Amino acid sequence: MLLKLALRNIGRNKWRTAITAASIFFAVLFSSFMNAFQKGVWDRMIENFLSSYFGYIQIQGKSYWEEQTLDYAFYADNSLHGLPEKVEGIDGTIPRLESFALASFEQKVSGTMVIGIDPALENRFSGLDKKLVQGSYLHAEDDGVLMAEGLASYLGMQVNDTIVLIGQGYHGANAAGKYPIKGILKFPSPDLNKRMIYLTLGEAQRLYAAEQLLTSMVIHLKDNSDYQSVKNELLAKLDTSRYDIMQWDEMLPELVDAKKSDTAGNYIFILVLYLIISFGIFGTIMMMLKEREFEFGILTGIGMSRKMLAFVTWLEIVIMGLIGAIAGIVGCIPLVYYFYKNPLDLSDYMKEMDDIYAKWGFDPLMPAAFEFDIFINQALIVFALTTILTVYAVYKTISIKPIEAMRK
Amino acid sequence: MTINRKDWSREIVMKAWSRGDDETIILITSPKRDQGTAFLKIGKEMWNWQPTIERVIKMPPSMMMQSWMGSDFTNDDLVRQSSIVTDYTHKFTGEETIEGRPCHIIELKPKPDAPVVWGKIKVWISKKEYLQLKAEFYDEDNYKVNTMYGLKVKEMGKRLIPSLMRIVPEEEPRNSTEIEYLNLEFDKSFEKNFFTVQNMKRLK
Repeated sequence: MLLKLALRNIGRNKWRTAITAASIFFAVLFSSFMNAFQKGVWDRMIENFLSSYFGYIQIQGKSYWEEQTLDYAFYADNSLHGLPEKVEGIDGTIPRLESFALASFEQKVSGTMVIGIDPALENRFSGLDKKLVQGSYLHAEDDGVLMAEGLASYLGMQVNDTIVLIGQGYHGANAAGKYPIKGILKFPSPDLNKRMIYLTLGEAQRLYAAEQLLTSMVIHLKDNSDYQSVKNELLAKLDTSRYDIMQWDEMLPELVDAKKSDTAGNYIFILVLYLIISFGIFGTIMMMLKEREFEFGILTGIGMSRKMLAFVTWLEIVIMGLIGAIAGIVGCIPLVYYFYKNPLDLSDYMKEMDDIYAKWGFDPLMPAAFEFDIFINQALIVFALTTILTVYAVYKTISIKPIEAMRK
Repeated sequence: MTINRKDWSREIVMKAWSRGDDETIILITSPKRDQGTAFLKIGKEMWNWQPTIERVIKMPPSMMMQSWMGSDFTNDDLVRQSSIVTDYTHKFTGEETIEGRPCHIIELKPKPDAPVVWGKIKVWISKKEYLQLKAEFYDEDNYKVNTMYGLKVKEMGKRLIPSLMRIVPEEEPRNSTEIEYLNLEFDKSFEKNFFTVQNMKRLK
């Protein structure tokens, strides 16, 4: 009976209902939109960064990560062969040998990160050859190197110049060699761009006297969001006294921190947004109460229970809230989906935002995350806000004085 | 030279020539990948020839305390030898018998302006043959850093010397580096330009 009453009341003044529902609709729309962008931008940034180099999971020699020296390199035994067949969700494994070396050309010297790679596998994983700006990509038995563009310009080197590398090899061996530059790579991350040198895995192993050894093996996942379950399975299948299995947030705590601090900043923004939204909804509720004061006065005057009246009012607002929230979700979907498919291109505005984004190799595109969680959560939050605000309406209807209300 | 570590050990064979205390050349002959690598020491300066990259590297002062060829010796250890007499004040502090040879214990303290890294050195020198059988190296805070042992005393090149030198770092007692003389000759003469950077590159 009361529900019917509430529905009739809603239907009676369609214009008023529309205004209240619309304010809730826009509230859900805005907050979802904000959140979707926030999440989308970070997801993309992390995805970009990880897939350009680190990967979501790496297998490493025991204790390698704490003290990154070649002495913790490992020999890839049988348990690491054919992992894609053994563990669900793995697309491939990318072997690497990483170490440091001084690179020298003519009068200049620079500290560099030297990485031995399997050119074909590495390319399939990170599309390394797309970063090539000069020269050609490595082939399997190549004796040349690929050098990052920033490093090459610092040393004043071009393709076909010979770079001299000197460092310390496995177990303190002497590591020195010279290599022609085969190609020059441009990395979006300035950090990588000024210190990366790629060799074939075989050459790197010879240089560092680390025959057959690897420092890490990147796991290429079929679906990156599965990394947790793949990691667990690897932990169960591999000998953890020999190998460490690292996931990206353990290897890159800075990236996690950067995301957290940025998200925290946005929380304040979203809080302000909620506050504005609340006042908007509150305004429409007040309007509705004012408009119906006379009506409520009469109802209580002819003997309707105040509690019942308050309940009906509450029900009305909650129903309108529901309508607004559901409409908000429905409205969000095409909007967010559009920006998910067509990210905003901020190339022209990026110059000022260079620092943090460029550091993580971020291209100036802002996609939205298309996840229902966001819509549902935002709708729930706004709906909860609305429900809290109805306390005012309930209070107003319960404490109504019929005489005053009817005196018009 | 044998470098011993917890999980591995490595052996390097080398030839060394020296004239007096000031001039030394060390040439690596094995393992194969390091063959031809040479070190030249003249006075307090040191050069390194790397045949794989065809470069001579002058060791900068910042590298002097780094490990030499991954061993427990520092580059400075190779250069330092001569200064033991000139840079320190010496004092007898006792006597002890090592492997049947009675020794003097001598404590060496660096002179105030001496360019040395140790705070104190204690050496055990046999009374009869003047052999250095043991040495302890202390840092500025009087912590023991390394102990060096002179072992396998035998006659080589018509002189009695400890043919095996073992150095053990205090912090990692399981690590050690040993240098064993396989063959020794004394009182040879050298050509005039033997101890030069140019010659270091040519040595076989």
